[in-house]
Amino acid sequence: MSIFIDKNTLVCVQGITGKEGSFWTKHMIEMGTQVVCGVTPGKEGQLIEGKPVYNSVKKAIENHKVEASMLFVPPRLTMDAVMEALDAGIKKIVTIADGIPLHEMVLIRQAAKEHNAIVVGGNTSGVISPELAMMGSFPYWIDRVYKKGNIGVMTRSGSLTNEVTAMIVEAGYGVSTLIGVGGDPVPGTRFAEFLPMYQEDSETAAIVLIGELGGSMEEEVAEAVQNGTFTKPIVAFLGGKTAPKGQKMGHAGAIITGGKGSVEDKIKALTEVGALVAERPRFVGKLLEQLAVPKL
Amino acid sequence: MKLYEYQAKNVFKEAGITIPNSVLIDKQDELSSALPIVGLPCVIKSQVLSGGRGKAGLISFVKTEESAISEINRLFNHKLNIKKFLIEEAVDFKQEVYVSITVDPYEATALLIVSVEGGIDIETLAVTQPEKIIKESIDMRYGLMSHQANHIAYSLNLPNEVAKEMRKLFLKLYSVFVKYDAELVEINPLFITQNNKLIAGDGKLMIDDNSMHRQVVFERNQSDYTNEAEYEASIEGIPFIQFDGDIGLMCAGAGLTTTVYDIIHYEGGTVANYLEFGGPNYKKALKSMEICLKVPSKVILIVTFGTIARADVMAEGIVDAIKRLKPDRPIVTCIRGTNEIEATKILIEAGLEPIFDTEEAVRKAVLLAKEAS
Repeated sequence: MSIFIDKNTLVCVQGITGKEGSFWTKHMIEMGTQVVCGVTPGKEGQLIEGKPVYNSVKKAIENHKVEASMLFVPPRLTMDAVMEALDAGIKKIVTIADGIPLHEMVLIRQAAKEHNAIVVGGNTSGVISPELAMMGSFPYWIDRVYKKGNIGVMTRSGSLTNEVTAMIVEAGYGVSTLIGVGGDPVPGTRFAEFLPMYQEDSETAAIVLIGELGGSMEEEVAEAVQNGTFTKPIVAFLGGKTAPKGQKMGHAGAIITGGKGSVEDKIKALTEVGALVAERPRFVGKLLEQLAVPKL
Repeated sequence: MKLYEYQAKNVFKEAGITIPNSVLIDKQDELSSALPIVGLPCVIKSQVLSGGRGKAGLISFVKTEESAISEINRLFNHKLNIKKFLIEEAVDFKQEVYVSITVDPYEATALLIVSVEGGIDIETLAVTQPEKIIKESIDMRYGLMSHQANHIAYSLNLPNEVAKEMRKLFLKLYSVFVKYDAELVEINPLFITQNNKLIAGDGKLMIDDNSMHRQVVFERNQSDYTNEAEYEASIEGIPFIQFDGDIGLMCAGAGLTTTVYDIIHYEGGTVANYLEFGGPNYKKALKSMEICLKVPSKVILIVTFGTIARADVMAEGIVDAIKRLKPDRPIVTCIRGTNEIEATKILIEAGLEPIFDTEEAVRKAVLLAKEAS
């Protein structure tokens, strides 16, 4: 199993005719993702990788059953594209756009909540269930990183995720589903909001959390463990332990403000509820072993 | 983008918020013409972007012309190389209030934060007396409703006359928050004067970097930056911070760069600069190296593990940059991710010795930096 996306999830690609859109659609399909159609206004009638293109999401869903929408849409057009997908009744949306205006991201998250939908991103590589399917831009063919297994990975980062996941795989583990919530100050969906899905997923034995300084998403995960929502083992790696205070270093959301968001605070919150925090990416695998997480 | 106090105050004024009488000067001899306009006593306020100006001695309250002259001499010769000063009337106030609007990423709303115990460090107050801070969520689809502003203003136990003004101020401040795509708009202190007027004693306005395309009003010029490297990085939209250590970082991926920064410190090294050329900037290796070479470092460390940012493109860019710029210091590369095999080949052909493990690359850089010292 996996969460959010598997080999049966029916995916529409918004922005499918663009350079990134067509490139990654090809890879999504090659990996096994059920891409059923695409949308680009004015391009209806074209085929991309054999999939029909429509002028609007409404038109697409008249012709196809769609469960999830993958957006390869520029940041300034993302809010509109998300609203279009939500209006069409799509409940799973992934946007990789890097540069979505902050106030629009607030409105996107608000709208997603109201529609009871999940918007993943922006500023992320997306979601991947290795060897099953992906929505996003992962080089899934690098098998020392994207290997199937029983570890759920949640991250705010792209490159750092490759770094850490490579260490998970090196230790003999693999990934059930990897979710990049994104590096923006207001992600569409937050770490803790995925925990109930990981909790239910019989093939996820533990979680690796790749966080960093700033915000409170790591603390929210600790709260979910505290209140019993999530009971599986957690190993975390958090970047920015030695980062200077008051400087924006790393992602836009990665800043220590109001005395909150330091890596020390996050380590404290997580270790208090029994999670283990790796000081370096290399130690993540060892800590999974220490928590007696089985290898498949 | 963070605005200077004087810029934020101009925005406030434009929105109808009263600011103190003031003159902005950028030459020492302009003080004499500023003083008659603002009167004495007055406040000399250094226009720098860092917080804690009062504690750092960058704000001076002066009562006489002599002390104004001596203070402005001191500040113009300050080691921070401050370029602009706001000469401002000293406001006679009876109370100081804290007001800000920011976003609440969890609730996905805007958040109005008010405390009638302003002026002091609000972060300390948040810890010691959180009950003295009032927060109101604002649904950004509808904006701050008049009734909400009303409710908060009249909940502050202020004289009715002041509450009425406060209500108007909240609405004006929210209009600034929206118009300027603000991450944060803050007035601390907001003075309540003896005759119950409100005057913004300070101004903080941070514009969301992702919205700068529609906020072109506040272009920066080189004099706003401490050095050329910082200025050029900002023009290119490349995240860059200069430190005073040995290793120049040129990495791709915000989280990875931060992690490499940590590991350098764990391994006993120091960082000369943070530079991140990932995401949309991954084709800017040449420019990135040019900026790194402007920083006095002993070694440049390049670590990447890209997805969309392709390793071969970055490797080509780096090799090209080395050929053109002929760096005067060693370069350590650790380039992985999409198309990493091609990337490795490109680097080896160019005579580099690519490393495949982040920690190993960091240790090599730390060693080279020590050897060069």
